[in-house]
Amino acid sequence: MNPTVNDASRRDVANLTGVRHRYGRHQVLAGIDLTVRRGECVVLFGANGSGKSTLLSLLSTRYTIREGSYHLDGLDVRHHGQEARERLLFVGHHTHLYGHLTSMENLRFYGDLHGLTLSEARLRQALDTVGLAKAADKPVQWFSAGMRKRLALARMLLSNPLLLLLDEPYSALDSQGVHWLNAMLNDYLDQGGAVIMASHDPERVAALDHRPHQLARGILIPIDAGEPETA
Amino acid sequence: MLKAIYRIAWKDVAGDLRRRATLSSMLFFAISVLVVFQAAFEPDRKEALRLLPGLLWATSLFTTLVGLGRVFQAEEEDGAFEGLLLASVPRGVIFFGKWLGNLLLTLLVEFLILPLTMVLFNVDAWQQIPMILAILTLGTLGLTGLGTLLAAMTRGARSRETLLALLLLPLTAPLLISGVQAVAATLVEDGAISPWLKLLVIFDLVYLAITPWAFGWLVEE
Repeated sequence: MNPTVNDASRRDVANLTGVRHRYGRHQVLAGIDLTVRRGECVVLFGANGSGKSTLLSLLSTRYTIREGSYHLDGLDVRHHGQEARERLLFVGHHTHLYGHLTSMENLRFYGDLHGLTLSEARLRQALDTVGLAKAADKPVQWFSAGMRKRLALARMLLSNPLLLLLDEPYSALDSQGVHWLNAMLNDYLDQGGAVIMASHDPERVAALDHRPHQLARGILIPIDAGEPETA
Repeated sequence: MLKAIYRIAWKDVAGDLRRRATLSSMLFFAISVLVVFQAAFEPDRKEALRLLPGLLWATSLFTTLVGLGRVFQAEEEDGAFEGLLLASVPRGVIFFGKWLGNLLLTLLVEFLILPLTMVLFNVDAWQQIPMILAILTLGTLGLTGLGTLLAAMTRGARSRETLLALLLLPLTAPLLISGVQAVAATLVEDGAISPWLKLLVIFDLVYLAITPWAFGWLVEE
């Protein structure tokens, strides 16, 4: 058994304790404590520059956590980054898509880099679900921002991640897209997935059963309680 | 892991062939260099044979630099490089995928320019072509290996092409000298190729052992 895994942390999907981050002298996160369990959606609200995207980058393993601890599915992410990446999907401001590849090729590329064996039928089914069936064999460079976002989100149907990290997921989506995304997220949460999302849009998030948090001055405060969350 | 390496390399090569971006630039650059050299020196057969090793490697080096300048260009679109780093594969796999794609494009150009050089300079060394190709391949393994690492290092720099050349040229000088000497030894009777080939292999092993590890360290933030 992996020594970093313990039974208490196994029940949680993600567990952050005392996480701090700074850019040079500027302290962005000043001690973040957060626990997310299966079927939970945590939404991060906050002004521009409050550190929401930084926190998501830390959670995605893109940035290294230097102060504090982060456990994902019981794994100490600092020492098990690769295993952690198998369990999460991050869709940020960038969609991480290649313009010269088609939708199908982009999804297959994603699958191969995450050790997924995906049949053509499965890929086409995922594209159908996100409303891109007709654009399956078209190069992504001609896609609108909304289509790119849908294609990026189609990856979650393929990898079925334990933790989904979303940075402003509603941006670029039309009202139909917002409705579709919320339905997909609700299904995902019902199946035991966990979501941490940064958003400026409380109205659109309202369709999800979620725990809202405010990120301000580097501290994460649960909005219901009005006090910083403790581990 | 091999599948991921292949897929990253495929993405780069297929993408380049579709856009005709890097390959056409490399070929155009290589042909221009050869034509300029031919026009400048107008060497006779004997001189051409003496010039050939340096000429081949200089052209290879310049075309490699053109390719390296663009090796991470596709990754700059829409945060694609970040997407690569979020893949659940070791960093070394990403490095080897990028390296393999660049290596294949560079070798393709080298294999095309070798016969062209022979014709342009009227060099009668057709029987030595397999050995020269083997030497070019050996040298290019290390050259593109170190080059891919340096391209990753200079990815965000404003004048990355200049920086890349400044870093790559001194660091690969021993490998280039070995490559030039190996080709020169191939073109003369009783030339001692073996020591130069051994040196090329040693440089390749050193470069390709260090660079994936250094890449992993480099991309951490």
